[in-house]
Amino acid sequence: MNKHDPIVGRYVYVTCQGKTYRTYYEEAGEGIPLVCLHTAGADGREYRHQLCDPDITSNFRVIAFDLPRHGKSLPPADYWKEEDEYKLTTNFYSEFILEFCRALELHKPVVMGQSMGGNICLDLALRYENEYSALIALEGCDHSPGWHIDPLHHPHIHGGEAVATSVFGLMAPDSPDEYRWETWWYYAQGGPGIFKGDLYYYSVDSDYRDKVHKISGKVPIYFLTGEYDFACTPEMTQRTAEKVKNSECVIFGGGHFPTSEDPDKFKEVIMPVFKKILQNDPERRGGSARDYQARGTSGSSTRSRSGERPSERRVIDL
Amino acid sequence: MSIHGSRKAFDLDWVERWARRVNEDRVLPRIGRFFNARFVLGVDDTDYLCEVRKGKIEKISEGLEPSDLGYEFALRAPSSAWSKFSQKTPPPMFNDIWAMAHPLHKQLHIEGNQLTFWQNLRALHWMLALMREV
Repeated sequence: MNKHDPIVGRYVYVTCQGKTYRTYYEEAGEGIPLVCLHTAGADGREYRHQLCDPDITSNFRVIAFDLPRHGKSLPPADYWKEEDEYKLTTNFYSEFILEFCRALELHKPVVMGQSMGGNICLDLALRYENEYSALIALEGCDHSPGWHIDPLHHPHIHGGEAVATSVFGLMAPDSPDEYRWETWWYYAQGGPGIFKGDLYYYSVDSDYRDKVHKISGKVPIYFLTGEYDFACTPEMTQRTAEKVKNSECVIFGGGHFPTSEDPDKFKEVIMPVFKKILQNDPERRGGSARDYQARGTSGSSTRSRSGERPSERRVIDL
Repeated sequence: MSIHGSRKAFDLDWVERWARRVNEDRVLPRIGRFFNARFVLGVDDTDYLCEVRKGKIEKISEGLEPSDLGYEFALRAPSSAWSKFSQKTPPPMFNDIWAMAHPLHKQLHIEGNQLTFWQNLRALHWMLALMREV
């Protein structure tokens, strides 16, 4: 008999800010809804290992969607007439996640996002704390500058190869080659200008440094960052977590794409978090209750780094 | 001893060993087929001019001369940074040229025509990673 993954893919129509988007998502499992957010310029395939892991899907309904313009989710029908380049904004991103959850009639899901999906967790906590039961910010922090740059979308530069290679070093050198190069492939397949447009959100429109202290703490937030992440360093995550009420911070020996670059190592660090979420929400766990054993430990990084920020360049558009 | 210093790591002999390793690589002819450029590998105060054709390093020159008629881009970093970069398992923030060059870290400076740099990033990235096998 042929081998199949347990993942099922479907399309749902999500209306956000006046437009309706045919949105692709994959899901597996039953229990607490766990909505997974991909990184900038990528798609839900980054969660394929977690979607296939019975230790996770026995207690969580794992759902990974592709944002509009990513993966199998189309851009808006009139994208070809747009006069401005694509730029993901905090407002659209945050509202789209909420509308997606409503379209699937999810009740108080857990949201787990990485990179820009980690950063948006801060905004979800600020705006929609009554809508979610827990937030998991992988490689997330309150400000991650330096990535909204023109070479990532330039007609003289091969977007796929340049974009994918620009993120390759964000992965830990000891993550398996097979999975690092699979992650490279996801990036090489992104639409033109989409990675750069997402990075507008990531580096420009998601500066939460003066806001995160306002997060009430009603929703627990778990921060997990790999020590090889040079875009959102362990120190940047730790500084953010220190300001966020009801948060925990784990630094581990991985990189910026933990779910796809090294799924085994990621499982070691995420299972204790899932265990806590289940303990706080015992009524909603899946049918086959399992005893979660925390494997592996995480160590804190002790490297120091100056808090210096790049100076803004003055530009005049004429 | 070279007029450019007595450093053994990253001296001209070391750069030559790296270039020979680059030229025997079996993947670069495919991914670097159109990589034709003259770039500078800067280590502390020493510049090595690398002339690349079809993904192979055809010539290395220690120091720059007016008759070189320039170069397209330069990657300049202290030997301490290159030393970490070229370790078998490089430490965090030094495992990648873009990591070292990122405005948050500023360990490496990319100068000159960045268009050529970005156009050939995949092959260049592969080429520099071979420093870990020198």
